[in-house]
Amino acid sequence: MTSATPLFGPLRGLRVDLSSGSFTEEELPSEVRRAVLGGRGLGAWLALRERLHEVEPLAPGNRLILAPGPLTGTGAPASARYSVTARSPLTGTVFDGNSGGSWGVAFRRLGHDYLVVGGACDAPAYLLVSATGVELRPARDLWGLDVPATLDRLRELHPGCQAGVIGPAGERGVAFASIVNNRGRSLGRGGLGAVMGAKRLKAIVVARDGERRPPVADPERLAFVVYEAEKLLKANPITSQALPEFGTSVLVNVLNQAGALPTRNFRDSRFEGARAISGEALRDGYVERRSACRGCSIGCARRTTAGGEHGEGPEYESLWALGADCGVADLTAVVQANYACNRAGLDTITMGATIACAMELTEEGLLPGGPRFGDAAAVLRLAEATGAGEGLGAELAEGSARLAARYGRPELSMSVKGLELPAYDPRGMKAQGLAFATSNRGGCHLRANMLGPEILGVPKMVDRFATLGKAGLLINIQNLNAVLDSLSVCKFTAFAMKEDYYARLLSAVWGEPVEPQELLCAGERIWTLERLFNLAAGFTRADDTLPRRLLEEPVREGPAAGHVVDLPPMLDEYYVSRGWTAEGVPSAVKLARLGLDEGGALVEAAGGLADASPAGTPPARPATGGGAAEERPSP
Amino acid sequence: MSHAVLEQFRRIGRDLFVAGLVSSHGGNMSVRQGDRILITRRGSMLAQLEERDVIETALDENDANVTLVSTEIVVHRAIYQATSALAIVHTHPPYAIAQSLAKDEIVPVDSEGSYLLHKVPVVTAQLTAGSKEVAELLPAWLKEYDLVMLRGHGPFAIGHLLEEAYQLTSVLEMTCRVLTIAEGMGVELKEYRKGSERYDSW
Repeated sequence: MTSATPLFGPLRGLRVDLSSGSFTEEELPSEVRRAVLGGRGLGAWLALRERLHEVEPLAPGNRLILAPGPLTGTGAPASARYSVTARSPLTGTVFDGNSGGSWGVAFRRLGHDYLVVGGACDAPAYLLVSATGVELRPARDLWGLDVPATLDRLRELHPGCQAGVIGPAGERGVAFASIVNNRGRSLGRGGLGAVMGAKRLKAIVVARDGERRPPVADPERLAFVVYEAEKLLKANPITSQALPEFGTSVLVNVLNQAGALPTRNFRDSRFEGARAISGEALRDGYVERRSACRGCSIGCARRTTAGGEHGEGPEYESLWALGADCGVADLTAVVQANYACNRAGLDTITMGATIACAMELTEEGLLPGGPRFGDAAAVLRLAEATGAGEGLGAELAEGSARLAARYGRPELSMSVKGLELPAYDPRGMKAQGLAFATSNRGGCHLRANMLGPEILGVPKMVDRFATLGKAGLLINIQNLNAVLDSLSVCKFTAFAMKEDYYARLLSAVWGEPVEPQELLCAGERIWTLERLFNLAAGFTRADDTLPRRLLEEPVREGPAAGHVVDLPPMLDEYYVSRGWTAEGVPSAVKLARLGLDEGGALVEAAGGLADASPAGTPPARPATGGGAAEERPSP
Repeated sequence: MSHAVLEQFRRIGRDLFVAGLVSSHGGNMSVRQGDRILITRRGSMLAQLEERDVIETALDENDANVTLVSTEIVVHRAIYQATSALAIVHTHPPYAIAQSLAKDEIVPVDSEGSYLLHKVPVVTAQLTAGSKEVAELLPAWLKEYDLVMLRGHGPFAIGHLLEEAYQLTSVLEMTCRVLTIAEGMGVELKEYRKGSERYDSW
């Protein structure tokens, strides 16, 4: 317990209206800080308060909410992160991305807790945030540049700056365009880059580090807890050996051996070419050096080279999406396709999964002249064409759900709520299927990854083929991840640390006792806010599902042979465990327990969150075809 | 109850007895599934659990099965209602009980205990078995610590899985054995851990 002077004041924010070019400073009461922490939690609360569920994602009324967390820049392990929240053009859900690098720390050192960007510019522009305020500057010379060129030019203009930028994909409104900072650190999923592009906003630049160190109430206590936490990170072979040596790509062979590596648009769950695109192959032939987000001791990022080019990554999810999911075992082509996505500012998961969908449409005879499984050159060519808006790339730019629907086979989009699934076949990891179906941003592994308990034995190994009895464990992981995204701390720390460490870190920073249980309750509150947003946006139990293939087509061979996902009983158990109705609506009792009932301080501060209940008229949602969702790469 | 859940009870129960953490009919375990609890039967032998020895009841209210459930049901319910625990293990380990008779908190000196526990609060109650007093006392501590020692009785450990709570219990008893041996040597112990003087503030 800390005895330092509490630093539990209001949240300080900046608000920019691009339409008028004006900005204002504002504050939120301390109850909001305590209830939703910051980062993703603050984004969800603001998104509901500002009724973003009622706006079209690419309209000026949508807003980008950028927020680091209370641990960002404090010296807490792997905490140099920030979140961006908006309504997604790909899914229609509330959607936050979370990125490492340095942007979040630089922004916090200006003394701000969040930034809200609304409206739209008349002509291309970029935002410059500095100690003296916010400026909107013309970006005519930047518009059209790819991501690395944009970052280079901004650093020439503003030495020492940190910038989040979009590439040509964001400018063109590709539904899965990303926002990129530090060259290879991406807010990759859900098309947040398209929201930025629709506002004709090329970049959000923090001029240079400010003078204000993020406040810490008890630095001595914080140093003690950080020391103890780093001991755990160094003792755990995942965080001290596997991730530092291989990066996330270490998972290719692990998932393939388990029979859970989706292959050829999830037709199979083992890839005969896995070894050729594995972490070991990447390390031996392509990696130039390790790199890390600011202040991180794990260092999972990689600088690589392929075919005479140099760049970041690929991460595990990108190796899978552009490799195994397309039946491609040519690692050089996969690395180059990853570079192409990074240059254009594209989510590699949705890109690869959409190409895989197009490949299956071709093999079904529905897309004459389209790409076929195993065609490495086509993967690279289509990634470049999508960024450039050329040929078939212009169709792929809408994501797999709309593509498959257009060709009359919506079930061939391997997505949930419009977001393409990542690199885990839930037929071999049953609770992962429930995690995908209930994810509130669509088919995503970062809302909850059951890789830990179902494959790696973290915190302990469970029966990965068992259907029932795992809803509670999943809910705890969903709630904890909401906490980590809101603090903002890298999820990889959770391979070694439990929630009590995060509570002790936050206690030292705030100078107020914070119990682990209070943190998990905040996580549940954040999850519930996101659920309320999606219900108000028109989503129902019917959207908490999986692509038909995973429910009906048994795995053909390997360790998971014969398995499908028996989702309905899992979903029933999940809703009961959440305290929701059978239709997936949080009960009044549950809302009251979380302080989200009408009349509560948190709802009063928002001017009536309860208005976002499903009783309202749902607005139009972006058309999706598959009834399934998507997801994004690692930190 | 699924076969997988029963197997967890059987496996952990057997290990608790073999490790000397409970007597023949002592201790109890439970898991939470939504608004239901699965808990060992009153008087069951943890080393020999059968399907009839794991009783399902409600989280919030009594039903007919309250005639069968463990004496500590009131404590288990209170813990689940106040924390995010999904599993509870309660045992009677001799070295930990002995240490609790002499201390208000148990601070490990061994490496494993230092990493996993840092310190364990010792809590006192007049009525130590199945009492409302314990049910009101323990949950507040278990919001902050995954394992709390009830003086003279035994620890309550929580986790998301039975195996997690079992691990903490096992580590506590090993820590207390080391403490008992080391303190009995009658010599000053050499410190090897940076910052250990602050473990009592964990």
